[in-house]
Amino acid sequence: MLSRVAESLFWMSRYFERAENTARFLDVNFNLLLDLDSITPVDHPNYWKPLIMVMSDPEHFNSLYQEYDAHSVTDYLVFNRKNSNSILSSISMARENARSIIESISSEMWEQLNNLYHFLQSVSPQQVHSDPYSFYKEIKNASHLFQGITDNTFSHNEGWAFVQIGKYLERADNAARLIDVKYHMLTTSPARHSDLVSGSVDIIQWMAVLKSCSALEAFRKVYLSKIDPENILSFLILDRSFPRSIAFSICAAQEALWRISGSSPHRYANNVDRLIGKMEAEMSYATVEEILQQGVRPFLEEIEQGLARIGEQLHLLYFAYHTPKIEPADISEALPFTGLDGRRANWSQSQQQQ
Amino acid sequence: MTRLFDHYLPQSDRFFDEVIAREGAPRSHYDIMMQRFNQFSAADIRARRELVNIFFRNQGITFTVYGVDEGIERIFPFDLIPRIIPGSEWEGIERGLVQRITALNLFLSDIYLNQKILRDKVIPAELVLGSKHFRREFVGVRPPLGIYIHVTGSDLIRDAAGRYLVLEDNLRTPSGVSYMLQNRIAMKRAFPVLFDRYTVRPVENYPQQLLRTLQEISPTPKLDPKVVVLTPGIYNSAYFEHSFLARQMGVQLTEGRDLVVNNNKVYTRTTRGLKIVDVIYRRVDDEFIDPLVFRPDSVLGVAGLINAYRKGNVTLANAIGTGVADDKVIYSFVPQIIKYYLGEDPILDNVETWLAGNPKHLKYILENLDKLVVKAANESGGYGMLVGPESTPEQRERFAEKIVENPRNYIAQPTISLSRHPSFFNETELAPCHIDLRPYVLYGKSVSIVPGGLTRVALKRGSLVVNSSQGGGSKDTWVIDN
Repeated sequence: MLSRVAESLFWMSRYFERAENTARFLDVNFNLLLDLDSITPVDHPNYWKPLIMVMSDPEHFNSLYQEYDAHSVTDYLVFNRKNSNSILSSISMARENARSIIESISSEMWEQLNNLYHFLQSVSPQQVHSDPYSFYKEIKNASHLFQGITDNTFSHNEGWAFVQIGKYLERADNAARLIDVKYHMLTTSPARHSDLVSGSVDIIQWMAVLKSCSALEAFRKVYLSKIDPENILSFLILDRSFPRSIAFSICAAQEALWRISGSSPHRYANNVDRLIGKMEAEMSYATVEEILQQGVRPFLEEIEQGLARIGEQLHLLYFAYHTPKIEPADISEALPFTGLDGRRANWSQSQQQQ
Repeated sequence: MTRLFDHYLPQSDRFFDEVIAREGAPRSHYDIMMQRFNQFSAADIRARRELVNIFFRNQGITFTVYGVDEGIERIFPFDLIPRIIPGSEWEGIERGLVQRITALNLFLSDIYLNQKILRDKVIPAELVLGSKHFRREFVGVRPPLGIYIHVTGSDLIRDAAGRYLVLEDNLRTPSGVSYMLQNRIAMKRAFPVLFDRYTVRPVENYPQQLLRTLQEISPTPKLDPKVVVLTPGIYNSAYFEHSFLARQMGVQLTEGRDLVVNNNKVYTRTTRGLKIVDVIYRRVDDEFIDPLVFRPDSVLGVAGLINAYRKGNVTLANAIGTGVADDKVIYSFVPQIIKYYLGEDPILDNVETWLAGNPKHLKYILENLDKLVVKAANESGGYGMLVGPESTPEQRERFAEKIVENPRNYIAQPTISLSRHPSFFNETELAPCHIDLRPYVLYGKSVSIVPGGLTRVALKRGSLVVNSSQGGGSKDTWVIDN
């Protein structure tokens, strides 16, 4: 497979997954606000700022908008082309990548991606505000449809594996960011002691975290109704069978990487396989007690950085056209995880700089 | 209810109408089509229009317009009324094209190897050797099977008497064949019943024929020669076509950066290292294809490609330097070229052409600018031309200066009476619109021509320019058994 094609498949898939995740967060946030409406006004910045922190760069946001409220955050995360992570930007970039390899993907895949792009072009912010549920559902369904179409119309060979890798690396990264921010908000936010004191609000918030990952029902099947932070962390990070947990995503990415290289457990063929294998092993043997002991944030930051290193090694090994040859030792610093043009703010980093 | 064709009034002595004969009666091969369209209500037409629009939009069948606004993608306008050519008429066109392509290929082979035709003074040597597209780097290199032009799209028009004439030859990277294929799919979907009533010769096997042609010209005989399509990239106006053809042939679509030359062999860069390439169907112009030989600032090409080509390790389709034969000045000599190499009279005539480089012709051109169409010898896409009857005196004056400054670069032709064909000029009404025809010729071990081609139509009322970059559209073209 051409390196350029592999790279475009990877990014097409990543951007699409990113758009879906953004839609998911926004959708849940709106629902959460309906639940909390009696306590706090919907436009309270406490509900909107975290979304920017998870998915983008607060500084960039502040340069374009006055305050964090439903309108500004939705506009920024859905429509704003200046935000390279907005849903519209993500889908446009997924489409640009697909267009450059249109002969390599199935026409059904292209049609589906193209349809979503044209749908987004036709939607106005007013429509989203008046019926957010339908809008986000449309995006999520489009993403599911795209994945189904891909599974059923695109040969399960090397290219398909790159699509899976893009999807699962993005998903693992998104899950880590989401938990990172929510955990941080819930355990340290002054809001916890002022307007969010009630226990039921706490539970609603945690339920929202689960819903963002479409995990509430699956969680209940495992833990019944015991919604507490420890169980939720354990489920979202370590659950082996839930398709949006970090452990599951890493495992799926690993399998896809093995398909390409022919590696198997304990026998890695290259640096990418070594790194993902290491990560997968750590996830396999971690317990939630250990994570809490180490600190949730350091643990998640390690995952985010690990994913970044995998992305960068993947680039060197498969996409960099085999020229120039760079030894791992020559790399002093990890490239931004999202690659050379899909740059995305690192929330943890921007936090540390504040 | 008024029927669609009730108000279609083509009468004009200046133009040949494809559907209605001089006496006002429809030509017999159009009977069924007219009857069928006459049964449609305005709502039927709109519904089918919508169906076709959705098809084209969903398929992403677009082209990019240069210079209007950066990266504007447009749907190529498609007209619902098909153009129908009786099989018997088509056979004549086909023979004419085979003759023409064969002669042009012998011409290219001659001027790059022996230059006998120049020594025999059939064409002034300076016109050939001085052509912008003559590639001296390529003299003495014989491509596999001695073939230079593997893919041709010559533009045909019909004069007032209905005679097919060749307007120009496109021997470098002719485009449009993907629209021909998509038009057929759209038409079958929108008008299955009408389609069924005719025996339309299929065009769908074009990609397979193209692949076969490309494999036949592999530099070394192989069971499965590796063919790739080379595109300038997604911002090229014909990018859709490049990707479409690669997909239909099942070969890789590559950009310059995907290819690398090592030891005079061409390879693709893959996730598993370098893989050898035998044949490149290149849609990148000569000037951009190798920065070491042509434009050094080109990022579209592959450094070292020409050397690999000269060594016979890779074949390019079309060959380097074919543009010399579609130079509009050389075009005027094609009848002599046919005579010289084949000893035959041309089956398809040229449009009468005056060369500004010829002093007698120049005088005539300058005196008759208001009646003529003047074209720059090496421009395409409808750029760099003057349509005399539609021009202002100031425009003519400015053009005259340009001609006198560089006469070699200009030719003039009478304002061509392109034939007309009923087409939708608004949603539900027909008007006679000018059309031409671009058939596609493939030249490998033998010559093959897909029945029909791309009919382009000037959808702006009264306009003579059918080019897509100038607002033209296209029609499905049916060659039928009769």
